[in-house]
Amino acid sequence: MKKEIIRRSPVAFNMRPVKEERRGHWVVALEYENEGDGPHLVDLSHCIRWDLQDSDPNGDRGKWKPLGIPVPEQPGGCIIKNGVMINRMNNTQAAIWHLSGEEAEMPPETAYTDVTDATAFLALTGEKTFAIAEKLTALDLSDLDGTPPFLIQGPFVHVPCQIVVMANGAEQPGILLTCSRGYAHDMVAAILEAGKAFNLRPAGEAAFKRWLEQLK
Amino acid sequence: MNRINPLETFRIRPSQKVSIRYGRKSYQGVAGDTIATLLYANGVRIFSRSLKYHRPRGLYSLDGECSNTMMQVNDMPNVRVENTPARDGMEVVAQNVAGKTADIDPMAFMDNLSFAMPAGFYYRTLHKPAKIWPLAIKNIRKAAGLGVMNPDFRMPGHFDEIYPTTDVCVIGGGPAGMTAALSAAEHGLRVILLENRPWLGGVFDYRPTAYEGDIPLYRRAWELAEKVETTPNIRSFTHTAVVGNYNDHLVTAFQRGDKTDPFDERYIEIRARSLVIATGCIERPLLFENNDRPGIMQVGCAHRLARTWGLLPGKRAVFSIGDDLGLEAAVDLADLGLEIACVADTRQDGQDESLTDALAQRDIPFYRGWMATEAHGGKRLKGVILGPVTGIRRQTFDCNLLVASAGQTPLTSLLSMRQVKLRYDHHTGFFLPDNPPDGIHPAGRMLGLQDSVEIEISGRLAGMAAAADCGINMDKEIETIKTRMDAFPGPVRGAKVVSAAVKGKKTFICFDEDTTLKNVDQAMAYGFDVPELIKRFTSAGTGPGQGGIPGHNLPLYVAQTQQSPDTEPRPTTVRAPLVPTLLATYAGSQHDMSKRTALHDSQEATGGKMERIGVWNRIRRFSEDVNARAEINNVRSNVGMLDASTLGKFRIHGPDALKALQRVYVSNMEKMIDGKIKYSAMCNEDGCIIDDGVVVKRGDNDYYFTTSTGRAGQTVEWIRFHTRYDGWNFNLVNLTDAYGVINLAGPNARKVLEKITAADVSNGAFPYIGYREFMIADSIPARAMRLGFVGELSYEFHVPASYMQALWDILEEAGQEFGVQNFGLEAQSTLRLEKGHLIIGSESEQRTTLHDVGLGFLWNRKPSAKTVGAVALEDTEKQKGRLKLVGIKMADAALPTPRDGSIIVDTKIRGYVCTARFSDTLNEPVGMVLVEDELSKIDTQFNIYEDDCNGRLITAKVADMPFYDPDGKRMKM
Repeated sequence: MKKEIIRRSPVAFNMRPVKEERRGHWVVALEYENEGDGPHLVDLSHCIRWDLQDSDPNGDRGKWKPLGIPVPEQPGGCIIKNGVMINRMNNTQAAIWHLSGEEAEMPPETAYTDVTDATAFLALTGEKTFAIAEKLTALDLSDLDGTPPFLIQGPFVHVPCQIVVMANGAEQPGILLTCSRGYAHDMVAAILEAGKAFNLRPAGEAAFKRWLEQLK
Repeated sequence: MNRINPLETFRIRPSQKVSIRYGRKSYQGVAGDTIATLLYANGVRIFSRSLKYHRPRGLYSLDGECSNTMMQVNDMPNVRVENTPARDGMEVVAQNVAGKTADIDPMAFMDNLSFAMPAGFYYRTLHKPAKIWPLAIKNIRKAAGLGVMNPDFRMPGHFDEIYPTTDVCVIGGGPAGMTAALSAAEHGLRVILLENRPWLGGVFDYRPTAYEGDIPLYRRAWELAEKVETTPNIRSFTHTAVVGNYNDHLVTAFQRGDKTDPFDERYIEIRARSLVIATGCIERPLLFENNDRPGIMQVGCAHRLARTWGLLPGKRAVFSIGDDLGLEAAVDLADLGLEIACVADTRQDGQDESLTDALAQRDIPFYRGWMATEAHGGKRLKGVILGPVTGIRRQTFDCNLLVASAGQTPLTSLLSMRQVKLRYDHHTGFFLPDNPPDGIHPAGRMLGLQDSVEIEISGRLAGMAAAADCGINMDKEIETIKTRMDAFPGPVRGAKVVSAAVKGKKTFICFDEDTTLKNVDQAMAYGFDVPELIKRFTSAGTGPGQGGIPGHNLPLYVAQTQQSPDTEPRPTTVRAPLVPTLLATYAGSQHDMSKRTALHDSQEATGGKMERIGVWNRIRRFSEDVNARAEINNVRSNVGMLDASTLGKFRIHGPDALKALQRVYVSNMEKMIDGKIKYSAMCNEDGCIIDDGVVVKRGDNDYYFTTSTGRAGQTVEWIRFHTRYDGWNFNLVNLTDAYGVINLAGPNARKVLEKITAADVSNGAFPYIGYREFMIADSIPARAMRLGFVGELSYEFHVPASYMQALWDILEEAGQEFGVQNFGLEAQSTLRLEKGHLIIGSESEQRTTLHDVGLGFLWNRKPSAKTVGAVALEDTEKQKGRLKLVGIKMADAALPTPRDGSIIVDTKIRGYVCTARFSDTLNEPVGMVLVEDELSKIDTQFNIYEDDCNGRLITAKVADMPFYDPDGKRMKM
């Protein structure tokens, strides 16, 4: 028996991508038709995510350095390096997100767990990001005191989420969010509905990477 | 009615016409009209009929302070037409009348029966004898009430919601609110400004009075509004009514959308660090006989009709007012063409002399210390009797407009909601806040200020104080502005008169509830001596106007007239919503969030009947047969596949992981064997079973375990909670969504599995209760368990959720030759019932212990683990009188299957049926029941009562479990 094995994202937009790429068992949507200038909703569920838990991720003189990157010292802190983002969630836990979308080998230590399939991973980017988000959450994503990127954990459309505010300036703000995979369908529907008035459209990974690039 | 010549203050666009229907006629207005102003422009004066007496009611406040202008619009009742913009094609119908308009009302005779309806009459009279009460109340409700809702009515429109966070929230978009917002925003803070009217400006918006130099107030309002609107860190929400103010500066409001907005109405919930309340004042209604006649309106209403909508409110007017705003309106309206018969002012002195001079210049008679005592006319006002406040003389004036107001009263509801004590101030006649809580800053006219510049400065001061709340050092600036404030006159002396010297039979203190002064007097005569009680007994202030009109008049009147020596007025309590809000607005976007498994779409596409179970959508069955017999038979004879992805799945790792497992599982988890699964259960502190599942050891200090679907969301917190004092080092990862689960079950299951994996899955290599990890189709990493929940050779494959559809397709293709078919929860439930396996929650309840369901053998008595529930398990192990779980069959196999939940009875209830199904396999009904222990012995018979059994009970008997394959050979084959 030889059947093509495909890994499926929990996110399905109501349109077919015009450009896609096979990456391992994933088929990654690079571009959708009429993406426009944003705001954009991008499915990043194929990006590898790891959970790192230890009684003290910063203990033992910085014991945990996933892919050579130190774990942020304070909960809520985020570090991005070489396309990898590390979010410190609490005293004992950090999330590691591979924003590059490339495959990566998980370190062998038992402290790591592959949680790629545990969540849907979305990026909401563009000028109206916070106008859309405030329809869906009471979390203060546009807090001017916070220096992006920073992590907020709390309800987004009533669902517990990890949200990283990547940029909160007026021009090209954006957030990344993960929620339980099972909620992906309703989460995407809610975000697209909230964004309808702002011309929010699904976009492919390429649009996300362009946006990420201009943040640098 | 022709509009007056265009003024700069107009908010209408006369070139754009708008047409609506009222009654059987079309009425034309212009863009910018509200429904009320459009109808008023066309001569409509009666907008509604009152609640009890069906008295005609007209335009009174223009700000929705009472139910006078509630009408049915496009089938929706109780729309406040005075602040609802008119839109082309609207269908407007009068409510609480027999006809389509409010002009003629056959129930108007009720007005003559008011003598028979004193305060609280139905509480006191209509319960003797008690049996007439239901009939009486039914008919009273039928006769009263505002508007009728068609049960088939579907709410049109789009309702949205937003939850913004801000540094400073300013409530009130008048001059004080705008300057407060600008002041706070100057320091880089995020500011939200909320204004009830569709535009900013407040009390400046329509007034031509000079601000400073020659600038009229309305131009100053524009100037401030422009600054606000162009300041990037101020978000202003107009046409937004604030409905609540709660702890931690949580403010709730709703905004009406205009044509350009993507919503019709939206709910706004704001979290702020500091609040400025600059809600200003409303007019305190003047109380006199027949004060509700159409043609009687408040000062602001008359003035704004002309200045904002270009409508002269009448032809010949009498003014009976109590403050300078009334005088100012009289002068301005006279200049705009209104004939004014006279102006009466309740104040003997204290008027702005320039205004009284202006009246004299226009030959308008001015009466100091006079007021309206009685209005004449029925459907339209015909005249008014004026007299001195002392009530000695009377003089009649013909008029069709009476502009009446006792003066101003502050809008303090938002302060009251935060438990701010309001103290009656004898200088202003206002209820003023005593020591507002930290982070709340009242400003503007609500403090009794009248000077325009001073109002603005008070706003500026409040904005600075709010900025200080946000951590900005404002000490110097605040000191400077306070010094500047000192140069102004401060709060002005207010009018104290509440009511004319009348008997009060038709002097309405509350329009909504038709409550008169006489009713209030009656309530006091019955001993209700405080406004809170009088409010309840007379209903004053409990109508849709939320106390807007009776507002502060009720406590003032009570204080002036009651016998008690303690005459200090006390305002009544206000509660949210301060302004009536559509339920649709509260419902908002209605995001109903539920979870889907990775197979949701494909399962549904193959005929799966989806059901919402907890947070998940799950397939109940795959055919119309509610018993899913084909699915059951296929599992028993061939092989079936079930999507079991909703099971809770967790990883626990770390040096103390085993200790944590020992704490929450009742079994001895130290006895786990590599390559084998361990079934166990969790209990709560009472020894009651709350969960069951399997645990496997995957490495040193590294375990994978499952929970029931319903408990998955609480498991991490449960384990953390019960180990919180131990300081153990372990980590938990919730993998519920990360892994999907397929249950492959049936005698052909191994044959299917052998086709898709290179691993040895023979009975010897992978026996019953074995655990293996292998690749499927060389690509899919699977954690495989041999379980027997449905009583057949059975495998559970736990694979990363993204592979689930691929695995399902592979299994389906491989299983084709072996008759593989889907099965759903219904089939699973019957299959496991036949096998005597329980589902926590179906065969257990809150008080069911581990022993009660026959799982006591799982319990490890080793005390060192301090297992949750161990003490209770020991106590209840041999306890008598408990409900025990037993299997049942019918006394006669031909009897029908009892329904789940049916009760077991003799002379009392002895238990109930947990689950029962007709078993095709066994050709008879079987079930599990929780029954009192003395009835739990094998072959004991009892009767089952069902809702519609008409006295015919079904007899069942306790039977041995499992019903199917008692030796378990099929699971182990």
